[in-house]
Amino acid sequence: MNWNEFIFFALISIVFWYTGVLALYKSKSKWLGDALIITGLLVFAGFIVALWQSLGHPPMKTMGETRLLYSFFLVLVGYVTYRRWRYKWLMAYSVAVSTVFIIINLIKPEIHTTNLMPALQSIWFVPHVTVYILSYAMLGAATIGAVIVLYKGTEKRMGYFELIDNLVYIGLGFLIAGMLMGAVWAKEAWGDYWTWDPKEVWAFITAASYMLYIHAPKAGISGKKSLWILPLAFILLLITWLGVSYLPAAQGSIHVY
Amino acid sequence: MDRESKSGQKTFINERIIIIAIVIAGFALQIAAGPFDYSIISFPVNVIVLAVMLLLLLVKPSGATGRFGSAKVSLCLLAIITLMCLYMGIVANNGVKTSWPFVLTYLLILINIILVIGKRIRQFKWKDYGFYLNHIGLFIFLFSAGLGSADLQRYFMRVYEGKVEWRGENTKTGELTDLPVAISLEDFSMDMYPPKIAIIDKRNGETFPAGKPSLMESFEGSSGNIGEWSVKVDSIKDRPGVAPAAYIIAKNKNDGGTLAGWISCGNYFQSFKTLDVSDIYCFAMTYPEPKRFSSKVEVFTKRGLKKSGIIEVNDPLTAGSWKIYQYSYDSNMGRDSEYSVFELVRDPWLIPVYIGIIMVMAGAVTLFWKGGRK
Ligand code: HEM
Repeated sequence: MNWNEFIFFALISIVFWYTGVLALYKSKSKWLGDALIITGLLVFAGFIVALWQSLGHPPMKTMGETRLLYSFFLVLVGYVTYRRWRYKWLMAYSVAVSTVFIIINLIKPEIHTTNLMPALQSIWFVPHVTVYILSYAMLGAATIGAVIVLYKGTEKRMGYFELIDNLVYIGLGFLIAGMLMGAVWAKEAWGDYWTWDPKEVWAFITAASYMLYIHAPKAGISGKKSLWILPLAFILLLITWLGVSYLPAAQGSIHVY
Repeated sequence: MDRESKSGQKTFINERIIIIAIVIAGFALQIAAGPFDYSIISFPVNVIVLAVMLLLLLVKPSGATGRFGSAKVSLCLLAIITLMCLYMGIVANNGVKTSWPFVLTYLLILINIILVIGKRIRQFKWKDYGFYLNHIGLFIFLFSAGLGSADLQRYFMRVYEGKVEWRGENTKTGELTDLPVAISLEDFSMDMYPPKIAIIDKRNGETFPAGKPSLMESFEGSSGNIGEWSVKVDSIKDRPGVAPAAYIIAKNKNDGGTLAGWISCGNYFQSFKTLDVSDIYCFAMTYPEPKRFSSKVEVFTKRGLKKSGIIEVNDPLTAGSWKIYQYSYDSNMGRDSEYSVFELVRDPWLIPVYIGIIMVMAGAVTLFWKGGRK
């Protein structure tokens, strides 16, 4: 098994996943969508296992291999979350994002490694990044919900509160998991879990603002008032994700390449 | 749950005054005593602090001290530490990490969390496992990583191939001391990424086209396009001790002219070679980047432990209570480096930190699984 055969497995999986998502929305059957998505996952996993065997090491070394796992776990976690919370849009979203990574792998496989510096070559790289991206997706969705409620008024939108809180809890769960994996990784690579490197400082700021949100009701702040935290927290999240390298404090950061 | 009465409101004002007073005292200490010196909380001070904090579990939640464990105090402290971190995240060379107000706020958060835990334990329910995992885990993590860091010992050790070294350089003070661990370096080795071929501007060394350089990987048989040139690598010379070099054949797509010759990025004793395209531009090779570097070592401790293995980035070696990390090498010599630099870390709080991390990780899963307020 090698990368030349990837296209067949990828196409079969994609077909299963898209018809699966379609079935979730359109079919009356309780199990059709699930069966299709799981079959797609099994086909994809089959390729990963076969590739693993022929390489003799887990496919985690090159960028292409990293993206391969990413495409798989994105759909897997999307599916588990869907099973738990029944958010169909989330299933559709994770399949769409996964497709983007599959297409990149088909067009530009980078199987001969682009220059991944030694510190990035770690088993933590994939889960750390995947979990963060999932968290950003959840928290982004929660922000949209919060803006809708703040804009349209709360009375008509009671059901939204529960949805927004769920998304924030799930998103913060992933965010904390991503941070801790980063800490374990940093310990393996540099001997230090946390050095208050600018990217780490901003990751902490982001997590702390979502912690403020989930603790606000315990301190007697009304649900409506605490909703204002979410757009602010998302701006901080965007700075963490995209903006850190432009800040004066980040000159010399280990996270800026 | 927390239905605060009017008097609760008033006492919260008291708590806020205490917090502000402590933070201001922090600023005063900062001016009077200078940056916070973490070594003052090294063993046994941190263990005594831990014992005192654990005693706080016994404090009655309704008393004056116990009320410091309210969610309002938590919110207030979280907001303060977030503001401090914003300053830390924006201003360069800020010194927040070693400032008294930051350290005192950190301690207040630990006190608040332990009081919160104490309060909850009095009405213990199994279904609160998510709360306990998150908050007890966070306390263990914050305590061990924060106050435990004072006990961390960290040294650099430079070892030459074929030699044994006992001495380490303290990373903070730069002092050279004998360590209870010795390393014998049998071999340092490095894999490189293939070097890249580019057209550069001889006047300033900038890669062409300026701004978004076009680079081509060089391995035997590789080919690509740079500007109006179609380039093929005919053969490669690449082995230890010799600078990488490529024999390239370039065809101009506009006028059909060809150029051929050796180019090389050079190394510590061979000079680089380029192939002129015009008076201004030439083909050149970039320095290859390291892909992987590792050291084959044998480690001895004073206690008589002997261990051999390969240390590489992301894969440290544990010997007794020490962890040995691949840190660096002679960057001028690259893969021909005759020495390897290790970082030796002894962290007695490592296990509690990992316990805390595992608990909070499990707590994160409960957040994910249980969702928000109903
Ligand atoms: C890893 C980060 C944290 C997470 C995921 C987290 C999560 C939670 C959750 C889900 C609750 C509600 C539990 C329930 O009602 O069953 C809660 C309550 C609470 N948390 Fe946190 N928390 C975190 C950090 C903190 C910190 C840093 C503080 C203090 C500064 C804190 C103070 C409190 C307080 C005071 C309560 C209310 C306790 C009560 O009602 O008895 N938490 N937390």
